[in-house]
Amino acid sequence: MSFLKRAVLYCFRQRLKTAILFLVLTLIAAFLLTSLAIRDGVRKSTAQVQTAIGGKIELNLDTEGHMGGGEQNQWGTAYYYTGDLITQDIVDAIKKVDGVVDYNSEGTGSYYGAGVDFKYLPAAFDLSYTPYGESSSYTATLSSEKCAHFQRGEYKLVDGRHIQPEDSHTCLISKELADYNHLSVGDQIQMYSLDAEDITSFEIVGIFDGTKGTEGNALTVDEIPANCGYIDYATLFELFQDKIDGYDQLTIFVEDPVNIQNVYDRIAALPELKDKTLKLDINTETYDVVSSPLESLEKLIHTTILFISLVGVAVLTLLLTIWIRGRKREIGILLSIGKNKANILFQIFTETLAVTILSFTSSIPLSYLTAEKAGTFFLSKAAAANAGFHVEVQASYLAPFYLIGILLIAISVLASSWTVVCQKPNDILMKMD
Amino acid sequence: MCIIKVCNVTYSYDGTRTVLRNISAEFEAGNMYAILGPSGCGKTTLLSLLGGLDSPTQGQVIFQGEDIMKQGLAYHRKRHVSFIFQSYNLIDYMTPAENVALTSSLPPLPVLESLGLTKEEAKRNVKKLSGGQQQRVAIARSLACDAKVILADEPTGNLDEDTASSIITILKSCAHEKKKCVIVVTHSNDLAKQADVILRLKKGELKPI
Repeated sequence: MSFLKRAVLYCFRQRLKTAILFLVLTLIAAFLLTSLAIRDGVRKSTAQVQTAIGGKIELNLDTEGHMGGGEQNQWGTAYYYTGDLITQDIVDAIKKVDGVVDYNSEGTGSYYGAGVDFKYLPAAFDLSYTPYGESSSYTATLSSEKCAHFQRGEYKLVDGRHIQPEDSHTCLISKELADYNHLSVGDQIQMYSLDAEDITSFEIVGIFDGTKGTEGNALTVDEIPANCGYIDYATLFELFQDKIDGYDQLTIFVEDPVNIQNVYDRIAALPELKDKTLKLDINTETYDVVSSPLESLEKLIHTTILFISLVGVAVLTLLLTIWIRGRKREIGILLSIGKNKANILFQIFTETLAVTILSFTSSIPLSYLTAEKAGTFFLSKAAAANAGFHVEVQASYLAPFYLIGILLIAISVLASSWTVVCQKPNDILMKMD
Repeated sequence: MCIIKVCNVTYSYDGTRTVLRNISAEFEAGNMYAILGPSGCGKTTLLSLLGGLDSPTQGQVIFQGEDIMKQGLAYHRKRHVSFIFQSYNLIDYMTPAENVALTSSLPPLPVLESLGLTKEEAKRNVKKLSGGQQQRVAIARSLACDAKVILADEPTGNLDEDTASSIITILKSCAHEKKKCVIVVTHSNDLAKQADVILRLKKGELKPI
């Protein structure tokens, strides 16, 4: 009788053992497949986050040792930066670097304007240094969409559009300020700059929300976030053309944060930056905030997969060891009638393999169900992180899953049977008698 | 004509406790041999060495002029010898027919029927058979494989007198009619009396009676 026939007979006649083995293997396989599906879902989400957020490199002025000797004015001693600025030549060179997808400059407090034809939300003190009342601060930017508040999701554009690099005399104001002054997109406002000693007109191109009201103990109007807005850089350059010859900060957006170091190296090597008093730093803050929960989840899933695999092999080996000890007499009989060790091992392996294949196949629809549930669960968790999450059992990993599973089964069979099969048949049989 | 023999065989457990000491004996086809001796004298060990279940510490086991180690013990067990054990040693999840089929590709039913089992009994699980019937299945398994040497270790030890007698008759006919060499290890003088040759194993030495 061949080992195949013996294996078939064993599986059919020892139904309880076969059923237990089937259940154990199905559960292990379903857990593993679900874990693999979650892992792939996490990887896809991470990739989506990478594409959506990208990485950032910051180019800043190196102020250390380049702040001059100080000048006396009516307020005290003023120090002015004497180093290099980020000129348009530098910006043009950077935007051509491979891997750079976009850039932005965000000069917080670059412009202070007093409302000529509108009023700011009031603060505790009315410190009116201008004929038009108190001034509030504005962030000059090339692209307001890429400013930190909008990137972090704190501010959201509720009407109109963002400021773009080609804009001039445009501004973005808060919804609260707009409501306070009955302003809307398309309206013109006028602001007086004490530094420029000039009144400038701005078109409101967008209104944003997220400044979270006017509560708090603001002493001056510019301490109220709702009073602070955004203007385009072109107007700033126009107003201060004799004083400003470049940007004091540049955020460079990189397509893939994983390869950000390569892009950094290429930018650092630009001749336009050589010997300039500028600092180049990698900033992955936004990406890290969003992707770190996903990375933690992936690590957890990896540990779970490893744990389930090890526990699965251990449980299977233990189960087979117990059963094979109970089959010592059978092994002794088979050895006594001249069956060799390989023949007996093949029989045990075939029995386990047959159940394994059935179990693995049954675990596929089961894992589809559990993966769907897991997907729904993680989607609810991931929604806060703005990351899509889709868990699906992929057909592509079924083949390696079967192969690795069968290899582990073979190891389990060998580990559990070897000591018994390697005994002399005499030792097995005579001890039984 | 000698079919199997042991030449100057010594066997000791763990290299210290010697149970067989320089034993030589020849066994011929067509004869039934009975090996008698007190418990622990090495009867079963001698049977194991003849059947290739173990190898001697010293000496040789020769089958038809060739050392059994030459082609391997598993080959010797598969081709040359078959065992009948006191506890039958049948595979319990198989039927008698399937147990017989383990050693032979020929239909098992004629052999089982020749030993007194019905068709219905041949398809039952072996655990549902009586001791005598199980021993008949074990003998059928021995006969089916066409081995020239049948080694029986206390084949009637677990059986009542009548059943034991019928088993002895079957073994005798195996030797005389089928021209097999049947070597039986036993405590039973009744069984030994039925044998053609009686050998006594005492203090590690084998002597004819």
